[in-house]
Amino acid sequence: MRSLTLSVVYVNRMTLTSALGTGLSAMRENLASSTGGLRPSRWPDSDVPCFLGEVDLSSVAELPAARRSRNNRLIELALEQDGFASAVADEVARAGAHRVGVVMGTSTSGIDRAEEAFRHLDADGRFEPQFWQPQVFTPHAPGDYVAERLGLQGPCLTVSAACASSAKVFAVARRWLEQDLVDAVVVGGADNLCLSVIYGFHSLQLVAPEPCRPFSPDRQGISLGEAAGFALLTRKSDGLVRLAGVGESCDAYHMSSAHPDGLGAKLSMQRALDAADLTLAQVDYVNLHGTGTRANDDVEGRVCAAMADDRTLFSATKGWTGHTLGAAGIVESVLTINAIVTGLVPGTMNTQVSEAGFNLLLNNEQHQVRRALTNSFGFGGNNCSVVFEAI
Amino acid sequence: MKARLLGAGVWARGLTCYADLVDLIGSDKSLQNADFTTPAPASIPSRERRRAGLMISMAVEVAHQACDHAAVMKAEIPSVFTSAMCDTQITDYMGRKLAGAEKLLSPTRFHNSVHNAASGYWSISAENRASSSYIGASSHSVGAALLDVISLVNDVHEPALLVGYDLATEPPFDDVFAIQETMAFALVFAPLDFRSESDLNVMIELNCLQIRDNPQAQASQAEHTGLKHLAQANPMGSAITLLERVADERLPRCVYISSSAHTMLKIDLALTGA
Repeated sequence: MRSLTLSVVYVNRMTLTSALGTGLSAMRENLASSTGGLRPSRWPDSDVPCFLGEVDLSSVAELPAARRSRNNRLIELALEQDGFASAVADEVARAGAHRVGVVMGTSTSGIDRAEEAFRHLDADGRFEPQFWQPQVFTPHAPGDYVAERLGLQGPCLTVSAACASSAKVFAVARRWLEQDLVDAVVVGGADNLCLSVIYGFHSLQLVAPEPCRPFSPDRQGISLGEAAGFALLTRKSDGLVRLAGVGESCDAYHMSSAHPDGLGAKLSMQRALDAADLTLAQVDYVNLHGTGTRANDDVEGRVCAAMADDRTLFSATKGWTGHTLGAAGIVESVLTINAIVTGLVPGTMNTQVSEAGFNLLLNNEQHQVRRALTNSFGFGGNNCSVVFEAI
Repeated sequence: MKARLLGAGVWARGLTCYADLVDLIGSDKSLQNADFTTPAPASIPSRERRRAGLMISMAVEVAHQACDHAAVMKAEIPSVFTSAMCDTQITDYMGRKLAGAEKLLSPTRFHNSVHNAASGYWSISAENRASSSYIGASSHSVGAALLDVISLVNDVHEPALLVGYDLATEPPFDDVFAIQETMAFALVFAPLDFRSESDLNVMIELNCLQIRDNPQAQASQAEHTGLKHLAQANPMGSAITLLERVADERLPRCVYISSSAHTMLKIDLALTGA
């Protein structure tokens, strides 16, 4: 199963809002000064001791009643950074609204509103009318909101494949562009902190009581975060990087445990490299999934150690942002593209000692990065790897 | 975009496979009084089957039906899963638990809450390591997923599987998104030059139209008495309308299915023989 054509899709614009900063400038400043975004949890109604990568949404105006949700507020804040919304408007003016599609990735969608609705059930056990929000309660909420907000009239859908969601958006958009269904696609991801994810990962005993330390020998689990990020993809080569290849796979092993030999992870990386017509040795930088759980880092580490040579640099960036789940794919794609564009290869924040059998960067370094790969692996055994290349 | 439809699976009240749907055409039977049978797909390994709820069991069951019908390699076929609301039974469980004082969740229910849960169980049951995704587009999900799966067939030049499902919503969700019937469907598409043993072999041509420029394009409705209700009572219902036209050559050879707020799929059907 492999695409028959080499990708002619380019990333023209991008933006990211996460605990590492609102917009790219803030993100770059915090990267440069090694200021991570994880803070002790003070999340309302949560007694899980942990660190969170929270985004300050206090500047975002209240949304219309039908669209109200924390995830849509995150999207709203992110779209206004780095001139992203106006760059999309320019594309609409050029190509026409019907030639611009939307592919968003999410895992939480508007679940925070469902949580709130259940806290306010009326005497008959029904939701209060303020929560009758079909556009928020569906997994499609982020894609639907982005299309309406930006006035886009092309095909529009939302991918939800757990923590691989907003990496897989690149696969859908590449097909649409290469088959000329559209001239541009707004891809992105948005996932917000909420009780479902805090207590959900707590139930699996995967939440660290400290800021996560991916690939540390004594790592204790994940730190959760929230983020929204976007990229504008076109067939025009005047942008930031080329989308060189996307690889997807399933573990076919277990819903929440990775295949012990990393079969799915290896397939996803290999398929992305095959699509880009590259070997891992030709890739300068790999942004790992690197969650900080014992199992993920063990399995992903063994897969990468078997594939890597000494030249390729690796790092895991969830110590900067937290694990933003459905947004992790776009968060780490932006950090990966940023490494190509600026040469700043981010270190593995919070990790002092590495047990990785490959060249894991603990501190930031400046390098020329021509080609880079990012991994995103999710529940359901769903894996996705994306390769970007300098233009 | 062109492809062949080679296999179908269906599950709903009174329907436990595509042959049931074909049988219903021409009969005056109504599905509304039929019993809903809970599927117990033997294909899910027993350890996983205990953990799977109705939505997952139904999705995995129809996925196997469609692949068996199309006679394709289950372990290799890439797939797209879709649903307007996904597993509202799990959302209900999580919402109630998290609103209470004791917030500890069941780890199994939590991992089943991911929207790609059915895709995950399918991949395990079929030992399938190809790409698999969940995509949603609310009430436009069938059209958006058809667009996605046909673009996938064209991209990899191999068969691909589409699976769609929604549960009937119960209070309090019915005030937010009313779904009266529970149903699932699955379709296997292949490139035009794919050789198949299937008795189903319908060439489809799919065009994505702008509604603005095509005011005549209205979403098609099911024609047969027995299927009308189901086609309107679930966000996946337009797949029933499509399958009805596939099964009954007397009906128009074209189906319109909504694919987003602004786009509509026009799907032309042509029987090509095995």
